Amino acid sequence: MAEAIQKKLQSEVEKYQMIQKDLSKSMSARQKLEAQLTENNIVKEELDLLDSQNIVYKLIGPVLVKQDPDEAKATVAKRLEYINGEIQRHENLLKELERKSDQHREVLTSLQQEYQRAQGLAVGKV
Amino acid sequence: MTAVNLTELSLPQLEGLKNQLDQETEFLTTSIGQLKVVQTKYVEAKDSLNVLNKSNEGKEVLVPLSSSMYVPGTLNDVNHVLVDVGTGYYVEKNVDDTKDFFKRKIDFLTKQIEKIQPALQEKHALKQAVVEVMNMKIQQLHSQQSSSSTTSKA
Repeated sequence: MAEAIQKKLQSEVEKYQMIQKDLSKSMSARQKLEAQLTENNIVKEELDLLDSQNIVYKLIGPVLVKQDPDEAKATVAKRLEYINGEIQRHENLLKELERKSDQHREVLTSLQQEYQRAQGLAVGKV
Repeated sequence: MTAVNLTELSLPQLEGLKNQLDQETEFLTTSIGQLKVVQTKYVEAKDSLNVLNKSNEGKEVLVPLSSSMYVPGTLNDVNHVLVDVGTGYYVEKNVDDTKDFFKRKIDFLTKQIEKIQPALQEKHALKQAVVEVMNMKIQQLHSQQSSSSTTSKA
């Protein structure tokens, strides 16, 4: 009886740890996106300050390529849109994972109690 | 943050809290350090712009091709520079605009540092308080132990 519960407990703990891993992975991905968002926002601010005299170059590999300022602005705007979408996606993912992890924690505590009770019974029989 | 009376927490809880605060203060300290490094870079870049003035136009310079090799060149444009604005974009600006650009960046960083500093101080004070409570609890535990051992002897 106690052994069966212990096995179940172990597999549940493993599942829980998996979720925790996914959670922290998602968390760091979100942080990276946040950093990219800040950087792109700064670039957008700078590009918005430019007038027609300024020439914009884009670094492609080791080469600087002349680029139309409006095109650069459009690219950055598109990138911001994409990053915001990604952040939203990760936000939902995080919520979902947190919900799952809470559920697992509850299952774990009840299993632990069950296990302790079973152990107590086994000792009582001996 | 919810207000918790520190004295109501157990020693392991206090220990955990202290570790968490340690991590947070460390993170904030390194953040400030990084911001300061970047800020110095911008200040240096801004200072080096002062070399680009009319009296230096047409003068000979040595241009580094690698860290150990230089080729001679002449300074024929003292009015324009290329500035890295981030994510691979470079913009050709005149010197005055570039100085404004650096000033903006430096001010921005100063503001960020000013934002972090109070948070760091707050965490520091909180950590101090936690350590104090921990010491108090440990002393209490010690005196309890010594008094119980004397009573058991007697």
